[in-house]
Amino acid sequence: MNQDAKKMANSLYGRVNAPAVERCRVNFCTDLEKSVLMSNFERRAWNQVGPDDEWNFYWASTQTCRNLFSVESGYRMNDNQIINHFPNHYELSRKDLLVKNIKRYRKELEREGNPLAEKAEVVLHGGQVVTRYVHLDFVPVTFVLPADYNMFVEEYRKSPQSTWIMKPCGKSQGTGIFLINKLSKLKKWSREAKTPFHPQLTKESYVISRYIDNPLLIGGKKFDLRLYVLVTSFRPLKAYLFQLGFCRFCTVKYDTSVTELDNMYVHLTNVSVQKHGGDYNNIHGGKMTVQNLRLYLEGTQGRAVTEKLFAAMQWLIVHSLKAVSSVMANDRHCFECYGYDIIIDNQLKPWLVEVNASPSLTSTTVNDRILKYKLIDNMLSVVLPPDGVPDVRWNKIPSAEAMGNFDLLIDEELIEKEEPSGHSRALKTKYK
Amino acid sequence: MEGRHEDDKKHTASKLAEEIKALAVYKSLYSDVQKLASSSIVRKDDFRQTLHQAMKDQGLETKFRNTIYHLVKTHSNKNKDPISLLTKASGQWEKRIHKSLNSMCTDLETALAKTRPQSEQEELLEKWNELSTYTLDLSKYRPVYAPKDFLEVLITLSGYVPYTREDEPKWEFAHLPLQVKTLDQLRKVFPEWANGEPLLGVNPNMPSSVPGFASLEAERISLGERVAILGYAPVVQEYLKKGSPQCLRAKLWSQVLGSDIQASHLEYFAQLKKDVLEIDLMIDKLIFKDVQLTASNDDQYFVFEDLLYQVMLCFSRDSEVMKKLKDSIGNPPTVTIKGKQTSADSVTVFPPSGIIPFHGFSMYATPFCYLYDDPAQLYYTFRSFYIRYWHRLHYISTHSQGIVSLCLLYERLLEANEPLLWIHFRNININPIRVVFKWLMRAFSGHLPPDQLLLLWDAILGYDCLEILPLLALAILSFRKENIFQVNTIQNVDAVLADLSTISVIPLLQLALMKS
Ligand SMILES: Nc1ncnc2c1ncn2[C@@H]1O[C@H](COP(=O)(O)OP(=O)(O)O)[C@@H](O)[C@H]1O
Ligand SMILES: [Mg+2]
Repeated sequence: MNQDAKKMANSLYGRVNAPAVERCRVNFCTDLEKSVLMSNFERRAWNQVGPDDEWNFYWASTQTCRNLFSVESGYRMNDNQIINHFPNHYELSRKDLLVKNIKRYRKELEREGNPLAEKAEVVLHGGQVVTRYVHLDFVPVTFVLPADYNMFVEEYRKSPQSTWIMKPCGKSQGTGIFLINKLSKLKKWSREAKTPFHPQLTKESYVISRYIDNPLLIGGKKFDLRLYVLVTSFRPLKAYLFQLGFCRFCTVKYDTSVTELDNMYVHLTNVSVQKHGGDYNNIHGGKMTVQNLRLYLEGTQGRAVTEKLFAAMQWLIVHSLKAVSSVMANDRHCFECYGYDIIIDNQLKPWLVEVNASPSLTSTTVNDRILKYKLIDNMLSVVLPPDGVPDVRWNKIPSAEAMGNFDLLIDEELIEKEEPSGHSRALKTKYK
Repeated sequence: MEGRHEDDKKHTASKLAEEIKALAVYKSLYSDVQKLASSSIVRKDDFRQTLHQAMKDQGLETKFRNTIYHLVKTHSNKNKDPISLLTKASGQWEKRIHKSLNSMCTDLETALAKTRPQSEQEELLEKWNELSTYTLDLSKYRPVYAPKDFLEVLITLSGYVPYTREDEPKWEFAHLPLQVKTLDQLRKVFPEWANGEPLLGVNPNMPSSVPGFASLEAERISLGERVAILGYAPVVQEYLKKGSPQCLRAKLWSQVLGSDIQASHLEYFAQLKKDVLEIDLMIDKLIFKDVQLTASNDDQYFVFEDLLYQVMLCFSRDSEVMKKLKDSIGNPPTVTIKGKQTSADSVTVFPPSGIIPFHGFSMYATPFCYLYDDPAQLYYTFRSFYIRYWHRLHYISTHSQGIVSLCLLYERLLEANEPLLWIHFRNININPIRVVFKWLMRAFSGHLPPDQLLLLWDAILGYDCLEILPLLALAILSFRKENIFQVNTIQNVDAVLADLSTISVIPLLQLALMKS
């Protein structure tokens, strides 16, 4: 933050620069005692308290957060309290709701006659022609089952040779996922799911998405990206992208043959899946940095396509956030760090697979630990005002130094004010 | 005087002509000229002039110039090592390596070379693109030697020199009667760096001094694109001095090394593969083991594991490597191939490349995975790099770019420019070469992150020398010296130097060269 901004911030809060020792110590509470969190809190000399005590900073589970904000709890946060989730984060992080919100967002733009919602005809692998959004076609075609079953069948018939992926809406880490290449397999599944002993289980909904069967391969293996995105406000939207993401590789060569359809080591990139494979290496954990991916792509495929890919990923993130910004409970006490799962296809087009509201903070390797430690450290310095004490009255404009490895993706407030000064780290691309 | 000069020129020209005739590219060059000569652009009445002009216009002249450039660059050093003691030492070292290979064979009850059974050939062929799934029991195989074994040999070298003084520690390379440059002399080798000219790799947002460019990087890309189109190797070399943008590196490196792929290259590469399939060399296991111990466990390289197996296996079969390096790499043994009928080809040089890998040898090839995904293209650039530079890092010689001179250079630079560190090392009784030797021997591969490493290797190509390696070692030590002063065991010094992931190579080197 520049000098003026600092002065302004100080006068806003009616504070003067207090020497470090006199500052009130931050009381934190956490539901998760992961070492990358605890060591960051310790380094800041924060004081751990229980959930019923006077906390300033709560690293909560999504459940705790929902409870705190529920009407029944009657809890009211004061100005010096912040928490790491938005109460209805599931608008973004549930697989079915994410798609629903994106579909609605595109329709709204279309109705407004916004050029972003432009559509065009594209030719699929199989030769058939379909209409797609030109700029907002970044999630694979998806339906919710059982609700949209008929719509799915209609789509399925258009290209019966394609593969689909079934995912339970409320699960994570690759559990319950399977691939489908025949309608009969889906029918069989729906019969089996309705077991007479557990009729309530049939209530569980699934999403079925077009399987990206042409992923970009490196060394013959499929991978996806895990990118971290920090949101400090949805209205106006303020979001930051962490530079240190990583690629998660499968341990087994990619193979589209039908016999490998059930081999999850070929198709699912989740570490939680891959680590059970015989070829899992726990020194590198199948993870390569996004910076090295970029180096490789620039070296082997050139600069223009690489830049385009990375710009398209930022675009995708910004619009996925815009798609939910109107429905999010934009509470001033909240911030959230999302784990974006993105697959790049062999045409270097990125596809959004899902968004996690509680990305894993478990460290699988030494480098993973360093990365996640930095993630938390940088995140804390972005969400906290310059004096380090949570305060919702702060203008949420971190200085370039405070951003660390975060790049500004979008700050609608700044765009509005057209005040790019003090934000040398802001990404060049403008999102309107 | 004039006449003599002309004679010399003629002599050199005819010698070069002879050598070009012996090259693999000669045939295609010759037929290109023939085609041109018989075309209508070349006139009979002014044959010489019009042919020359046509060659220029068609890019053949550049091809010829590059051929000569590459020929001169790879000319092997015909004279034997002037210090006979080093020759003796390297001979003994070579014997030790051979002995250790042989005893490993005896222990494991296998042969250095044997025909590969049909079934195994088929399996290998089938898994050629995913050799990581080719199952081998390698538990009993050990690398023949590691950098620290080689260092022990080098350290005893000074003992071979008769005039070691009693009052000085024995480990100093300074006892060897070799000439190395001082920092001031190095400044003259790297004038662009020493003068503080703008270089790539300092700061991604560095502005350009040329109007019309948003940044230095944009300026370098635009210039580099033109250089690449021109394709004239000496110009490419000059360009690389200030660093290449990653998007042009693959092209520029292959141009400066003459490793652009031609049809004959692909055939030859296929032949190497065939040789791997047919003959089982004990070295194959060592290659598998080495990739497994290094790249497979490295988060920067594991995705390229399968590519590396292919490249390293083919390299071991490449007799052209040995031909080009015959005066620098000693005398590889000739062994009988078990299971083959006695005939002219039932014996083989072991291995045909003449190169026995050490622990970490694959790291000479790994960084190229960030430039080429085609195995053949990767192979030829790596091979050229090896023939020009890397072999000097693991063979004993008195060459000014050889590992012995580089160690000595490091030692001298440290003593002259970081005297307090030098004294500190003495006080804690650590030979300062020990803490940097593995960096030097692997040209920092596996130690620096790939983007930094590629910038460093740009400079090796640009200035056509390896002296940048000891200079970087010195610069890193200077940079971390406050931490080194705090510790007094080799383990702790190693710990201070273990993580180079935050090192910015170019600014550090430039700082070292600019300081006065
Ligand atoms: N549409 C798709 N096409 C290709 N692969 C997919 C697709 N959807 C998911 N995957 C693969 O499955 C993995 C798990 O899917 P995801 O939606 O992230 O569910 P989870 O919550 O279980 O992690 C992804 O990381 C990706 O590798
Ligand atoms: Mg996921």
